[in-house]
Amino acid sequence: MLNQFIGISPKSDLLLLQLLGAKLYKRSFLHINSTRTGGGVAEILQRMIPILQELGIDARWEIIEGDPVFFDITKKIHNSLQGNPEKFAKKMWQYHYEINRKNAEYLNLEADAVIIHDPQPAPLIEFKKAGLWIWRCHIDLSNPHTQVWDYLSRYIAKYDATIFSVAKFARAIPIDKFIITPSIDPISEKNRGLREEEITETLNKFQIPVDRPIILQVSRFDRFKDPVGVIKAFRIVKKYNDCILILAGSPATDDPEGEIVLKEVREYAADDPDIHILLLPPFSDKDINALQRIATVILQKSVREGFGLTVSEAMWKGKPVIGGAVGGIPLQITHGITGFLVNSIEGAAFRVRQLLNDPEMSRRIGENAREHVRKNFLITRQIRDYLSVWYSLQNKGRSILEM
Amino acid sequence: MAEVTEPFEFRQCISILKSTGKKAKDLRKLREIITLISDECIFHHTYQYFLKGHILEYTNDFAQWAGESLEERALSEHLSNIDPYDFKAINDLRNKLLEVIDNYLENFPEPREAMPGDEFYFNETVTFIFPIGIRVKNLAEFLTALKYVDVGAIYYHFFEARIRLGAGIDDFSRWIEVALGKKELVDKIRAIDPFMHTVEGIREHLAEAVEDEVKRGMEVIDRCLTSL
Repeated sequence: MLNQFIGISPKSDLLLLQLLGAKLYKRSFLHINSTRTGGGVAEILQRMIPILQELGIDARWEIIEGDPVFFDITKKIHNSLQGNPEKFAKKMWQYHYEINRKNAEYLNLEADAVIIHDPQPAPLIEFKKAGLWIWRCHIDLSNPHTQVWDYLSRYIAKYDATIFSVAKFARAIPIDKFIITPSIDPISEKNRGLREEEITETLNKFQIPVDRPIILQVSRFDRFKDPVGVIKAFRIVKKYNDCILILAGSPATDDPEGEIVLKEVREYAADDPDIHILLLPPFSDKDINALQRIATVILQKSVREGFGLTVSEAMWKGKPVIGGAVGGIPLQITHGITGFLVNSIEGAAFRVRQLLNDPEMSRRIGENAREHVRKNFLITRQIRDYLSVWYSLQNKGRSILEM
Repeated sequence: MAEVTEPFEFRQCISILKSTGKKAKDLRKLREIITLISDECIFHHTYQYFLKGHILEYTNDFAQWAGESLEERALSEHLSNIDPYDFKAINDLRNKLLEVIDNYLENFPEPREAMPGDEFYFNETVTFIFPIGIRVKNLAEFLTALKYVDVGAIYYHFFEARIRLGAGIDDFSRWIEVALGKKELVDKIRAIDPFMHTVEGIREHLAEAVEDEVKRGMEVIDRCLTSL
């Protein structure tokens, strides 16, 4: 499997992966999260575990099981950590602990290194047997509800280290705090190269005309992704350039606001034949891939964002991306070099016009974007970083490690 | 092409980021934390700036933050003018940063605050150094490798080497001097200003200088042929 990354991932990442694999050969590496399907964490673990095993590491992936009450509590924890106020009672924390205790009874927690993903399984640290335990936080902790974080951090402080996605998400706790950005898998269905006929199939399926430039945003119908703002920007652009807009996203069934936002978007689009609103069912990875590949300019006009990995997915296709200057987007887009960062509808419209009118600039930015993702946001780099954290914790206190 | 007894072995460094958990929202807080943080943290925000592939508007993270987040342009220019390779110890560099900030605060005692989320986040790194399995014995092989290796290898031998070797010397020019004795090429490489290029830009300049030297070697053969 690792061979598939030769010629795609940076040579040095593959080399360091092998060197670290040799150092950690036959050692056991356990990952625990709360779901095997859905969401970015499960997606990456599915791809990562076989690669770790191929490196000779005894990698395992376990999930904790819980009932709807447990997941309702952990959803509340998640929301509060992202800054949304939620009411919390002590018994909720007790339930959170209790479900973890039950899971600990049957889970094999013995490993040389254990990565616990997100708050759901965080209390498992109380049942640590041996090895290095690392808490991996995938969510934006820059402005958490203080009481909730204070309670959760009692568990976190017992870990050997934490990993956050962005420096500004890291909290001041007295253990090592590593920063590892998320990544995309270049050979997955969402990102692999597509044949011409595969792209045509998607175009036909959604009846997308290809006679004009295509502006695209792929995201949930969520106010934080500002789909109405995207239409407003498109209307400004249309005064100067003939083009079409595609808004593609999942219906967000777990989000009651999703329906309302979608309705607003449809009303605002008002049957404009040049605006295509596509509701993509789950597992539409190939279609998303194809849409990104036929787009002229891709938008991610978020007004609030976690890391915003869809930006890297679009950049990987060599497209110029215009992103809101929020969350992890500025880490992916260097303004004017690998894309454009904007702070308003007018700013987004201006950059779209600029790119439509300067194909050479579009090409150059798209090329830089793909290279930036290749160097920084591929899955091989993320696996390299996980192993680096493990190895550096074994060599604690040393800031330079000669391999 | 003459081969040498001491080949050049390419190595590379890769760093993983660690947060110190400290952040500053204005210049006074930045100053206060700079006095306290580890040498590794200062090292990361200054010397390792070039590993990040920024546009060449600034030369270190402090200058970039002053310019982009505080919009204190003059301070940003003062900070960008600090050359970390001028200092023998990190503490001297730390003192220079403090001196520049103090001077600025004397003239502008009420600097603005960064927007929430735009604070300066103090980080440090753990750096992995490893051989990349490429060893060259002459200038032509060196040129091929130079074009092929990842930027992390160029960074390690051109930027990081200056800290190890001191006196503005990099691994490449040292090898060419010691093993090949090509003084003119050595001078050309040492004349490349590390602050005025990205790591990719450095690679291009190095390759250009080495290629000229390799071509000159080939022209000698041409002249030999025409004299026949």
